[in-house]
Amino acid sequence: MIVLRNLTRYFHSSASCTAVEKSALASLRKKTGYTFANCKKALEMHHNDLNKAESWLKEQAQTLGWSKATKLGGRQTSQGLIGVYVDNNDGVLVEVNCETDFVARNQEFEDMVREATEACMKYAKSSPKSPNAVTKIGLDSEQFRALKTKDDKTLADKLALVIGSVGENATLKRAVCLKVNNDVSLEGYAHPSGKSRNNVLLGRLGGIVAIKSQNNSQENLEEIAKGLCQHVVGMAPKRIGNPEGEPAENKDEEDCLIFQEYLLEDGVKIKDFLEENQVEVVDFKRFECGETLEVVGDQPLELLETCQ
Amino acid sequence: MASIVVARFVVPVAHRTLRQILSKRSIAKIHNYARTLQIISPEHTQKRSYAEKQVFDRSKPHCNVGTIGHVDHGKTTLTAAITKVLSDQKLAQLRNYADIDNAPEEKARGITINVAHIEYQTEKRHYGHTDCPGHADYIKNMITGAAQMDGTILVVAATDGVMPQTREHLILAKQIGVKHIVVFINKVDAADKEMVELVEMEIRELLTEMGFEGDKIAVIAGSALCALEGKNPEIGSEAVLKLLDAIDNNIPTPIRELDKPFLLPIEHVYSIPGRGTVVTGRLERGVLKKGADCEFVGFSKVLKSTVTGVEMFHKILEEAQAGDQLGALVRSVKRDDIKRGMVMAKPGTVKGYDNIETQVYVLSKDEGGRSKPFTSFIQLQMFCRTWDCAAQVIVPDKEMVMPGEDSRLILKMFKPMVLEQGQRFTLRDGSQTLGTGVVTKTLPMLTDEERDSLLEGKKAREKKAAAGKK
Repeated sequence: MIVLRNLTRYFHSSASCTAVEKSALASLRKKTGYTFANCKKALEMHHNDLNKAESWLKEQAQTLGWSKATKLGGRQTSQGLIGVYVDNNDGVLVEVNCETDFVARNQEFEDMVREATEACMKYAKSSPKSPNAVTKIGLDSEQFRALKTKDDKTLADKLALVIGSVGENATLKRAVCLKVNNDVSLEGYAHPSGKSRNNVLLGRLGGIVAIKSQNNSQENLEEIAKGLCQHVVGMAPKRIGNPEGEPAENKDEEDCLIFQEYLLEDGVKIKDFLEENQVEVVDFKRFECGETLEVVGDQPLELLETCQ
Repeated sequence: MASIVVARFVVPVAHRTLRQILSKRSIAKIHNYARTLQIISPEHTQKRSYAEKQVFDRSKPHCNVGTIGHVDHGKTTLTAAITKVLSDQKLAQLRNYADIDNAPEEKARGITINVAHIEYQTEKRHYGHTDCPGHADYIKNMITGAAQMDGTILVVAATDGVMPQTREHLILAKQIGVKHIVVFINKVDAADKEMVELVEMEIRELLTEMGFEGDKIAVIAGSALCALEGKNPEIGSEAVLKLLDAIDNNIPTPIRELDKPFLLPIEHVYSIPGRGTVVTGRLERGVLKKGADCEFVGFSKVLKSTVTGVEMFHKILEEAQAGDQLGALVRSVKRDDIKRGMVMAKPGTVKGYDNIETQVYVLSKDEGGRSKPFTSFIQLQMFCRTWDCAAQVIVPDKEMVMPGEDSRLILKMFKPMVLEQGQRFTLRDGSQTLGTGVVTKTLPMLTDEERDSLLEGKKAREKKAAAGKK
């Protein structure tokens, strides 16, 4: 009888003992969201002191993220998101890549892209403007990574944190800033849209158009610009084109904006649509997630502009 | 007396057997000779290798499963380990990690999907195993119906636990209609017992949150790597076997087409003098017998009748099975009452719908689709079974659909037609195929007003919208 009682007592005490430890690991994981392996390591190092372990993890997050980022560095990233942000006379377009479209749909990754877009906007506003109607500043991956966020960290650091959290490689691929004169207006569009917050649009495709117009009301102009931008994103024109030029023979392969059929109105050419509304497209820029960069045409020129 | 018996019966018998043994030996000799000949001339056997292709054994029920999970959590290792463990029992062919990992581009119904299909069997069932790299690939796989997943294995590493994107994995499972999940906690060789328990708790919590029965789902812990390398059997091969057992028991076998109520999409209707009306077509599912009650549904009509005879190749058929091309004689229905596109089915099993929610993959230009994106209110022709019908498309989640993209679409059809969840169809625009899709949900029937509005042009819609605003 005594033996039995001792036995039950033994069981009881041992069970409660592990329960305490378990809750330490569980609550640390729940609180911080870091991997189980890291939480465990933190607890072991600080003799199950939750607060110390937590602060250590937070300190280590950056280095852990970086080590993960270097480890996964070689892996290909072809999915991701485009961030579009237009604020009066400034507009930015950024591309951040990741490995799978699962991550591209994740909240954490979205927040990261949003932050990157905002950082880029800050940079755009602080950059000087050229006398042209539209100033385009292209950023390559290195320049993009070095941009600072609100809390004075580089975007590369922020990205490393995300990599540490989702365990997938990610890259800040490119960004472009557009600055325009007062008589030109900008409009942005992202597809698929619907994830807009703080005016930052996120999608798999994104575009910005700069248009000039005579006598259009502000509301009307916005609608026209939005339609045009949707067209640019959807139809992927390569250049604006010259009204005197010849349209392509095959209608489906037309890559001049003005000769393309307007996406939102069947049978209407962009050229006619522009004339009808007295609007002129000054410039546009389109990003498609995962597209291979062409290093021909206007690309090097854009990069030249960055070395101010 | 006894000696006579021996002489008369035993001796000839002995003689005969002796002769048989001798002849067998000589035959064996010839056999050996033939074999050596074969070895000498190997080209001869190589030419005939097509004859050695294995015959698929249909004795076990078939079931499709797939793996989902984070890229580094060992989906591929697990799949390789399953084939390894089962190949030891002669139930599968060993597939290496590399074979599965580079999910080959497959062109199923003209659509390019990155997908790896592996085959194996347990004592109870035969399995097709699907593994895709991305969300879009699983969706395409579902839409083309290359291998509809009946259940899925969610792989989570014990070292990392639930990742932020695990939520997205489960959303995907819901989206492609997977109801049965088995969880495999991988990499337990790199973790301790406590961590494994916590990971299990976490997964159950998340599953419940996402609308699965988190407490009842089978969770197996093990190490796919150990199983693959043949180390620590208690967390290696045994865990894999436990997992397979859990799959056997927790993912129900899909109902065979043959066991469902009969359904015949009508291809032609004939009137045969002196006999009556005959409908022809390929029996899509079920078994059709003479004397069965039936119902003709389609083009907003429902007619009841009885099958009075079933024929195939002008011969009387006792019972037609799914897949048979047949003609059925039906009682008291006029030829003009039925037409191609209607469906003959067991009464009460099918219904016409004109408002459905679908998941559609829009072909990219390379796949033969159109080069332009489309927006809501585009009118397309929907092809399904033997019928086609005009339908208005509403894009609920975005402003346009790009070629090469999958999307949720609402289709409002001009006439109610027989449809059901899981039904596949094709959308065409004039002479061009635009995409393929699958019905995910049937919605309430259109009202007369809504049906009239399908014919309205853009101007009328805008006017109405403006009036609504005022």
